[in-house]
Amino acid sequence: MESAPSTAPGSKAGPKIGVFVCHCGSNIAGVVDTGKVREAAAKLDGVVVAKENKYTCSDLGQEEIIKAIKENGVERVIVAACSPRLHEPTFRKCIQQAGLNPYLLHMVNIREQCSWVHSHEKEAATQKAIDLVRMGVSKAARLEPLEAREVPVEPTSLVIGGGVAGIQAALDLAQMGFKVHLVESKPSIGGKMAQLDKTFPTGDCAICILAPKMVELSRNPNITLLSYSEVEEVKGFIGNYDVKVRRKARYVHEDKCVGCGLCSDACPVKVDNEFDLGFGKRKAVYIPFPQAVPLKFTISKEDCLHFKSGKCLLCVKACTNQAIDHSMQDEIINLKVGTIIVATGYEPYVPMKNGVYKYWEYDNVITALELERLLNASGPTGGHLIRPSDGKTPKRIAFIQCVGSRNKKIGKNYCSRVCCMVAIKNSQIIMEHEPDTEIAVYYNDIRAFGKGFEELYHRIREEYAVEFIRGRPAKLTQDPETKNIRIRAEETLLNKITEREFDLVVLSTGLIPSEGSKKIGKILSLSLSSDGFFAEAHPKLRPVDTALDGVFVAGCAQSPKDIPDSVAQAKAAASSAAAPMFAKKVTIEPLTAVVDEKLCIGCGLCTELCPYGSPELVAGTAGGMKAHVIEALCHGCGTCAASCPQKAISPKQFTDDQIYSEIQAALNDQAKRNGRRKEAEGAVS
Amino acid sequence: MTREVEKTFIGGLHEELVEDKVIDESQLEPDFPDQIRKYGGKDVMTCLQCGNCTGVCPISLKIDYKTRNIIKCCQFGLKKYTLGTRWVCATCYRCYEHCPADLNPAEVMIALRHIAVREGIIPPFIKNTAASLVKYGQSVKPDAEIDKIRQEIGLGKIRAEDPEYASVIREIGVLIHATKYDKLIGIHEEVKQ
Repeated sequence: MESAPSTAPGSKAGPKIGVFVCHCGSNIAGVVDTGKVREAAAKLDGVVVAKENKYTCSDLGQEEIIKAIKENGVERVIVAACSPRLHEPTFRKCIQQAGLNPYLLHMVNIREQCSWVHSHEKEAATQKAIDLVRMGVSKAARLEPLEAREVPVEPTSLVIGGGVAGIQAALDLAQMGFKVHLVESKPSIGGKMAQLDKTFPTGDCAICILAPKMVELSRNPNITLLSYSEVEEVKGFIGNYDVKVRRKARYVHEDKCVGCGLCSDACPVKVDNEFDLGFGKRKAVYIPFPQAVPLKFTISKEDCLHFKSGKCLLCVKACTNQAIDHSMQDEIINLKVGTIIVATGYEPYVPMKNGVYKYWEYDNVITALELERLLNASGPTGGHLIRPSDGKTPKRIAFIQCVGSRNKKIGKNYCSRVCCMVAIKNSQIIMEHEPDTEIAVYYNDIRAFGKGFEELYHRIREEYAVEFIRGRPAKLTQDPETKNIRIRAEETLLNKITEREFDLVVLSTGLIPSEGSKKIGKILSLSLSSDGFFAEAHPKLRPVDTALDGVFVAGCAQSPKDIPDSVAQAKAAASSAAAPMFAKKVTIEPLTAVVDEKLCIGCGLCTELCPYGSPELVAGTAGGMKAHVIEALCHGCGTCAASCPQKAISPKQFTDDQIYSEIQAALNDQAKRNGRRKEAEGAVS
Repeated sequence: MTREVEKTFIGGLHEELVEDKVIDESQLEPDFPDQIRKYGGKDVMTCLQCGNCTGVCPISLKIDYKTRNIIKCCQFGLKKYTLGTRWVCATCYRCYEHCPADLNPAEVMIALRHIAVREGIIPPFIKNTAASLVKYGQSVKPDAEIDKIRQEIGLGKIRAEDPEYASVIREIGVLIHATKYDKLIGIHEEVKQ
């Protein structure tokens, strides 16, 4: 290779390098012999300072780096410590303070990629750390100073999802004075919270505390509510996102509809209401629930007679405002926003067919959300709890916990965090309605961890004598005549197998990522945690940020959580999203790809492969089509560079030259080579 | 081979468990889960003690046999309670089918048998069955009764003295000896004959 680095020993012409080895308390020093690493680093070409610190990221540690730059004239800084994801920004700021270009820093990861994974092989780990540092030093000599770019930020935010998290985030941003677009795929905002009866542990009526917020949102002049709409495409980068939103045709003009309901009265079609999970009915032209926001009717195309037969149109005749228009088409609108908050929520786990709990086979086995609708005063039964098989009030009720959570067999290893309290809360409501009911909760562990939760748990045991059986039910059988359900389970605390009969069985189903989350995750290329929910940038320190700058996550889209936690996270996401919009500009990493026009043959492969749509083909200065990287869109991922047949593209700070020098340094350990030769000779003789 | 002895091998947990008032370190073997893993069981520490396995176990309905309890003893390292009791498991794998922790209790039972046999705890009926296999080439001793039933349904007599049949029995004996199964289960006397 013509640009191969010279590795001749003794060439001291390169920049002066300082190496700082971090103990990270005992995280690194407990495994890696940091003294040896420092000694080895000090012997490397170009290294003028080699030091070790207990915590390099501390004030003291950073002071040492600054001192080395100022007093020893260090020009390239190597920090051998944790992952650059954690402290690269810290050390960049540090060397910038000392007057060095922040991109002349190189971090060598000897914690996550060395001491943590090799905790049982200390010597080998030390050797690996030395190798890694040698590679880093070799690369550092080739680092180039880069200038960070500043881009303006559009002071508008997009909130995806109109559940309680999305509503709260939108309201907070609007209050700070920013314009907000809230996109909701359903005809009304409100999300899952609107379907609940009461909330734990206080017993507040869910819709009573949510509806005022929904109304406030619809009246806020800073918020544009795009209900019955879906995000189709997002392009751009922090501060400058271009969003395409599909406004699905409701067949009712929102500006003309006053929500009087005459159309619905006239409509002859009756179908199951999704909002009531199949227990209640709705018309083909409908609002999902009385408190819906916006209070605008929607025609579901699948149910409407006019779309089936071309006739009917009774709703059109009934409407006094000429709001109904069966010829309406989907509309695409383009938005320009600076930040995005993803609050796409969850969906309840659906028990499998022919499973142990017989949800699909037995009428009197229902899910927790279905119970919420049956208990809800504005639900299909007006708040009277009945059982589906015969409409009678059930007197013996069983709750089965952990259905669809904490189960490795179905790949749902996580705890859904709310089901315990939901069962406890619903037990209380049922006991208040019908004091002579017997309730048993089949549980594995009760998780009553939040404020006021434990108190409620105690209350329902003491006041209502709800029975808690520790064991996972093994078998459910149905009495063919009475449709009662018999549950067999081991009461593990008694060490006995129990068989009990119940009128109604409620499955406390877990929370899984929603369909909307999956769609938005693909559109935005957001990374997921192992449980399938969106991954936050750092589990402790950046709980609402995603790996994408300017995109934040709130509510159950990130992990299962209760209403207080969702609201808290929404407020956090709103304030995080507001920060760059208040600043009006952000700095963007200059680690982008650059094209060498002389080498580029204009094949266009990079334009096809780039996940961000950054390279484009333009007429070159010396004629012919040449690739050109739109820096603002480039994330520096390197896909284009890897694919370029001409090696015309290279990502800054990850050039071929730099990477080859690292590889060469990795293989260039004289001591190791001698050892291997001896080994080989020993094997031969 | 009285009924008393047999009982300890098909019953539930050892009666000592009920008798011991306090369990202290001297009764525990902390590396017991590792031993189970060595003999093909999964990691018993993943068990959440939900009791689903006991509930679905067809044997638990007939006798005092609690799969969950045995797994708990394994987690705890209570080796001495568990070794005499595992032969009743039919390895129907129903517990595995239902286990939310993806543990396989049936295979843990098999691992426990491996460990028990290596410690010399072998139920007499296992020894008998193995001895029959060596002597007659089948796990049940052929006798006049069986021959009678065979004749009734139109099958011929089992002729252990047939040279062809004897060679099969010899082959079984060689295999059992070569795999050291005879020594393990204590039937090397039979094999030698």
